[in-house]
Amino acid sequence: MIASNETFVVAAYAITWLTLFGYLWRLARKGARAGAGHERIVGGSGREEAR
Amino acid sequence: MALRDDWRRVRAIVRKDLTTELRAKSGFNSVASLGVTILILLGLALGPDAQALRDAAVGAVWLALLFSGVLAFNRSFQMELESGALDALLLYPGPRWTIFAGKLLGNLVFLSLMALIVVTAGIVFFNVPIPAGWPSLVGVLALGVLGLSVLGTFYASMASRSRAREVLLPLLLFPMLVPVLLAAVTASKAILGADLMHESGPWIRLLAAYDLIFLIATFIAFEHVIES
Amino acid sequence: MPSSDRARELAPTRSPRTSAWFAAGSFVAVAAAQAYSVATSPAEGDMGHLQKIMYVHVPAAWMTFLAFFVVLVFSLKYLWRKDENDDLIAASAAEVGALFNGLTLVLGMIWGRPTWGVWWAWDARLTSTLVLFMIFVGYLALRGFVEDPQQRARWSAAVGIIGAINVPIVYMSVMWWRTLHQQPSSAATLDPAYTMGLRLNAIAFLLVLIYFIRWRYEIARLERAGERAAEVAAMGGHLA
Repeated sequence: MIASNETFVVAAYAITWLTLFGYLWRLARKGARAGAGHERIVGGSGREEAR
Repeated sequence: MALRDDWRRVRAIVRKDLTTELRAKSGFNSVASLGVTILILLGLALGPDAQALRDAAVGAVWLALLFSGVLAFNRSFQMELESGALDALLLYPGPRWTIFAGKLLGNLVFLSLMALIVVTAGIVFFNVPIPAGWPSLVGVLALGVLGLSVLGTFYASMASRSRAREVLLPLLLFPMLVPVLLAAVTASKAILGADLMHESGPWIRLLAAYDLIFLIATFIAFEHVIES
Repeated sequence: MPSSDRARELAPTRSPRTSAWFAAGSFVAVAAAQAYSVATSPAEGDMGHLQKIMYVHVPAAWMTFLAFFVVLVFSLKYLWRKDENDDLIAASAAEVGALFNGLTLVLGMIWGRPTWGVWWAWDARLTSTLVLFMIFVGYLALRGFVEDPQQRARWSAAVGIIGAINVPIVYMSVMWWRTLHQQPSSAATLDPAYTMGLRLNAIAFLLVLIYFIRWRYEIARLERAGERAAEVAAMGGHLA
């Protein structure tokens, strides 16, 4: 027995929340990067040939 | 009439692949050597206790086949890729499934020959006694090699054209082969042990069903996968 | 039309405010469901409170399979309609599915260590879930190594469908493999007293799953727009 059962339960819930918030964070960063890239395209229309 | 033409195409592809491989024997020889080398390494890693080796024999043979098999599968598409012949092949009118069938048959022959060599080496190095029910063992081997070849050919048609073929093919293929591995190993072990509980029957049926299901599924999927 | 117009077409249609509410709502739902379950379930025997891990482990597993189902459906839809968005939805579901899959496995191990005494016991359910995880990883690796978007979409769809076909077969074969050797299995059958808590947690997780997939999908659309613009710039023209 390396730790009490309660420790395992707490660890389980902690890891669950860590995972949920961790992925939320990853999405936020990915989203920011993608959004910035998108802004560059939308804003950079001056380089395009006019129709 | 059209079906006869299709089969002619398939045979042409098989003949081309096999003659190329046989002429440059280095291909088959080196892959088969690798299979045996892996087996020997497994023997060294898991032995030298005779009983331990006997218990591990079936698993070791199948792992050696799997690891050397991925090389064979990637190679089966490599020839076309290097010369750009795949695009030429696609330009010819005709159903795409003939390409898959041709490649599959070529790989089947290749893998079957390899299996013979690796199994023989396994019997020798792992002290496996030949059981009375050895024909069933051959059947299990055949069904396993078929499943391996079907999915191996299918995934290799993509992996060989990607940026990281050496790692991508095993990564895609191995999880898919879990049922084959489990069925082949468990059934073979049962047959080697006189199969008193008739365990091998259900596993052999599972293997057969697996082969049939994926034979159909990959043929259908190949249409979508082969276009560049 | 200039690429900027097309790129604008791909902008997310959902307002940032609703998504923030949905995010908060789903996370609160998870917390509430967990609080309710933990509070209302009694300790049992020598297992103590270990059973409570099931309230996160089982819903995570259900979400994994649900996500894979989404991958299957949208892979089929993509091959049928060749609509790029379907490919992006499938890919998003695969990433979120892999996340829940990893979580399921870790939670299974955390439950298993005190229960069986080992971190991994090759139990039938967990092993099948592990193989599923490897299939997810293969799918995502494939997408990472294929440059051409159309080829990537077609190949992913084929791999996703073939992979999905294998899931029940893997499950069956691992189950057989295990029953031959009388091994412990994960607590599948819960006391009816626990089902309400389980259902609440599952619904809450479902909200999070939907939210994650939607957001990931929108990011994928933005990334795709970027890819397309880069293609066009490389060819020195503009999108038709």
